[in-house]
Amino acid sequence: MADSCILDVTGVGKKFCATLPYSMYYGIQDVCRNMVGMTANSSVLRHHEFWAVDGITFAINPGERLGLLGGNGSGKSTLLRLLAGIYPPDKGKVEVRGKVGALIALGAGFHPLLTGRENVFLNGALLGMNTHEIDQCFDEIVEFAGIDSFLDAPVKTYSSGMHVRLGFAIAIHARPDVLLIDEVLAVGDTAFQNKCIEKVLELNRSGTAIIFVSHSLQAVERLCLTGLLLKQGRQVFHGDIRDCVQQYNNLLTQENLGNAPQATSFGLGVVHISNVDVFEVGGSPGNRSVTYGRNFIIRFDYVFQEDCHHNTQVRVWIRTHDGRDVQRLTFQEAQFNGTRNYGNVKIHRLQHSGTVRITVLSPRLFPQSFRIDVAVVPMDRSIHLGGLANAAIFNVVPPPENNDYFEFGNMTVTDFDYVVAVD
Amino acid sequence: MTYDAKLIVYEPEQRIRLGFIQCWVAMFLSIVQSRELLMQLFRRDMLAASKQSLLGIAWTWVAPLIGISSWLFLSQAGVLLPGAGEVPYPLFVLLGTTVWGVFMGFFTSAASSLTSSGNLVVQAKFSHQVLVAQQVAQASLSVLANLVLLAVVFAIFGGRLYWTVLLFPLSLFPLFLLGTGVGMIVAVFTVLVRDVTKVITTVLGILMFFTPVIYAPEAGNQLLQRLIWFNPMTYLVCGARDLVLSGHIEHWQGYMAAVLLAILVFLFSWRLFYISEQKVAERL
Repeated sequence: MADSCILDVTGVGKKFCATLPYSMYYGIQDVCRNMVGMTANSSVLRHHEFWAVDGITFAINPGERLGLLGGNGSGKSTLLRLLAGIYPPDKGKVEVRGKVGALIALGAGFHPLLTGRENVFLNGALLGMNTHEIDQCFDEIVEFAGIDSFLDAPVKTYSSGMHVRLGFAIAIHARPDVLLIDEVLAVGDTAFQNKCIEKVLELNRSGTAIIFVSHSLQAVERLCLTGLLLKQGRQVFHGDIRDCVQQYNNLLTQENLGNAPQATSFGLGVVHISNVDVFEVGGSPGNRSVTYGRNFIIRFDYVFQEDCHHNTQVRVWIRTHDGRDVQRLTFQEAQFNGTRNYGNVKIHRLQHSGTVRITVLSPRLFPQSFRIDVAVVPMDRSIHLGGLANAAIFNVVPPPENNDYFEFGNMTVTDFDYVVAVD
Repeated sequence: MTYDAKLIVYEPEQRIRLGFIQCWVAMFLSIVQSRELLMQLFRRDMLAASKQSLLGIAWTWVAPLIGISSWLFLSQAGVLLPGAGEVPYPLFVLLGTTVWGVFMGFFTSAASSLTSSGNLVVQAKFSHQVLVAQQVAQASLSVLANLVLLAVVFAIFGGRLYWTVLLFPLSLFPLFLLGTGVGMIVAVFTVLVRDVTKVITTVLGILMFFTPVIYAPEAGNQLLQRLIWFNPMTYLVCGARDLVLSGHIEHWQGYMAAVLLAILVFLFSWRLFYISEQKVAERL
């Protein structure tokens, strides 16, 4: 272990058993082996066992801020528990120089019937503080938590926010050398979250290393300088936080593409929609990847199966992968009668068959995957002449250079302009 | 930032790889270092017991008080006939059940130590031995209450007092060792298979009938006699009772062997608990 490191993790792994009967059986086996002085061969996988965390290696220095990223079940929480010493590793090694503070479950050990005051001492002792140390920072804890009028009320009367605030306040005053934060800040209100992040940064400036887990990429980017990306317990990336976030987004969109729902046609079948594609202006069709902020084209072919005596309207929806509408892009063959012509209605005539190209201008679609639905409706009736749901899936990826997209956070700005061309 | 802070290493099966002596040192140290936490946990349970409750900690005294009053009532009513010896039978039984109760009290407390605080174990890092220690401390408190009440009953019945009665509290120590020892093994296995506590509690319930708790050790046919004298609890219960009632331990060789066994069981299971609890606790 290099002298400067505060935490050194070498090839660490943790296995779990997927089925309860085997978990019982293996547990008894292991304890019985221990009874006769044998080790349990923990580094070997048995039937039904799997590595929840596998071969993680990294080191952090005092004052470093590391973000742990990964989808659900990627092993983030298990890794934190390994670092905190709650779980013993099954392989590899964790070396810690100093005190590890784990904000894994705030207010662990709080007894609902005891008052806030009594619980401060209990929780403090659990975090390794003695009564004298707690006495010294008691007022600070209470002030930070902002619960002074409830100090002598039983904790069970606290709101969940107060509960978390008190837990956080105690944990932060235990003066850890490494602070592990697992998604806990999400509970408090925004004001308290900001206060917590300020406090964490203040500790960080005095040398405390931070390891932060959150599903809010904004929060991770704001708080961390380096990132570690986990996928199915394995380390996929370790480096600059922005690269890490980008890698994570790529991973997410890949998964979304993998789970893409089938394109399904709907409506009367008068119009047949096919060959739907999305690509960047100047980019090649087919790769379905669009860089954040760049213009892109939605293209599809249409064929009228029979003669249509209505003027039609073409509607294209951009939706997030989980189905929320982002924007509807439309054009129609004629003006509406009377008062319904508001906004800039785009007029284009459709032929018997042809290709539609809609160029979306300066879109601000936050990096993730989106899907396209297309429908053709008569202007005077509310039926679908033809349509295709889940017609295409495409990914928006972050720009390679660091431009302003980070400032927008996790927001998709809608109502962008577009140009239609019909062949 | 202190760079000379103590280096802590977490490795697989770290505790079993410790040398024999090192392991004992680590076990003692981890208890000593967690004394603040032990105190706080003990305080928590005391305080919690007194909240939203009229009698609070006084409940420790209620069960023995009721038990003793019923004994007194029954003996006044003339239902409890004195046994063959010069000792009143009620006293004999009361002593026996108290001593057995001490054993069971420590056993139950230790056995439930891990499962009763499941959440805490996976939320924070601390020495889980503290949980056993805290439970045992709690059990000791009720033993103390029992002893005081026992003294009261003795004062009323006014049997002959021997000086060896002073050794009686000491004779409960082997029962603490055996009860806590068996309890710690059960605690580890209970995390894995929840029925273990039930099975062992039932077995111990049956064992009580093969221990001269409510009858004299010389009673019964040959088979019962054989079972009684193979049972280490016989020596521990009779030994403690002898100190009060007859001034000397009748089967002192057997008693010494049983004490030795209690010590060995305790040491073995304490070490097993220390080595295995971490690996087991993650399943809570």
